Amino acid sequence: MGLDFVGQGAGQTDGNIITTTIDKVVNWGRKNSLWPMPFGTACCAIEMMATLASKFDLSRFGSEAIRFSPRQSDLLIVSGRISIKMMPVLKRIYDQMPDPKWVISMGACASCGGVFDTYTLIQGVDQFIPVDVYIPGCPPRPEDLIDAVLQVQQKITSGASPKGVEVIYE
Amino acid sequence: MNEEKEVEEQSKPLVLEKLETHHSDALLAQDEARGTIVVVVRKDQAYAVLEYLKTDPELAYTYLVDVTAVDNSQMESELMQFDYARFMVVYQLYSYQGQGRVRVKVPVHENDLSITSVTGLWQGANWLERETYDMFGINFDGHPDLRRILMPDDFEGHPLRKDYPLRGRGERERFNFDKQNV
Repeated sequence: MGLDFVGQGAGQTDGNIITTTIDKVVNWGRKNSLWPMPFGTACCAIEMMATLASKFDLSRFGSEAIRFSPRQSDLLIVSGRISIKMMPVLKRIYDQMPDPKWVISMGACASCGGVFDTYTLIQGVDQFIPVDVYIPGCPPRPEDLIDAVLQVQQKITSGASPKGVEVIYE
Repeated sequence: MNEEKEVEEQSKPLVLEKLETHHSDALLAQDEARGTIVVVVRKDQAYAVLEYLKTDPELAYTYLVDVTAVDNSQMESELMQFDYARFMVVYQLYSYQGQGRVRVKVPVHENDLSITSVTGLWQGANWLERETYDMFGINFDGHPDLRRILMPDDFEGHPLRKDYPLRGRGERERFNFDKQNV
């Protein structure tokens, strides 16, 4: 968790003092309450719904507070095909999310266009928005999405900036 | 002999019988495909035929199921059949009066891509004709709002035409974020 207990045997404190850094505490809070913004455009969204529902229960990892307003969320889950007409909408939603924000590109279509190698389909949303974690699969199983959320959590714990921030300050 | 002929005529679908009586000069061909009656109709009389199919009380094809088109430019045999008309606009109709389905096909030449809109007969034709315009570039005369429906407004070309490359002409790599109303 990144919190260090000190004070054992230090007299009157008796193990009740915790030393840490602000960053660590803030990141600990962030990682355990990621609020996802679902951008479900295809069958991956069905798996995402399953992940959020009782059987797979994403709330075990603190990410059950789905927000349909980008202004209230910090994790964008792109699950499905994105066409050239939809991409500006997705970009707008990404831009509306407050920093720091993370992006999961769920499934083959969002990550690389999948089997839809056609004139209208974006061949990977990472061409236009920064993606932190990719999930392979067509569609990926809910366990894969949970794994991706845990990877985002790991990323936050490690103190690494989201991909979006790196892009801004590069 | 006469009896047999009568039986044969009785088994002929009512819609073909009536079209032959009232619109024989509009009919280019008739066929049956998997149980659906198919009639090919001259373009200048297509609207009249469709109106007749809808308003005739016995036929009453009141439900327009679909409007679409076929690009036959790479089907030599299909092209030759109707005087090298590149496109075939297809109307699927359904009658709740027991007449079932009928498919009306209209050959459209590449040098004159306009055809009369049927939005006056079926309100539902509005979006179907917009889609056909978007994908094939068929112009529907008299349509109240003929603009693209699936592709972005600034898209160029008509992607379901056979000469349109499957992977496009680079639209998916370079398209304008600002131009579109998000």
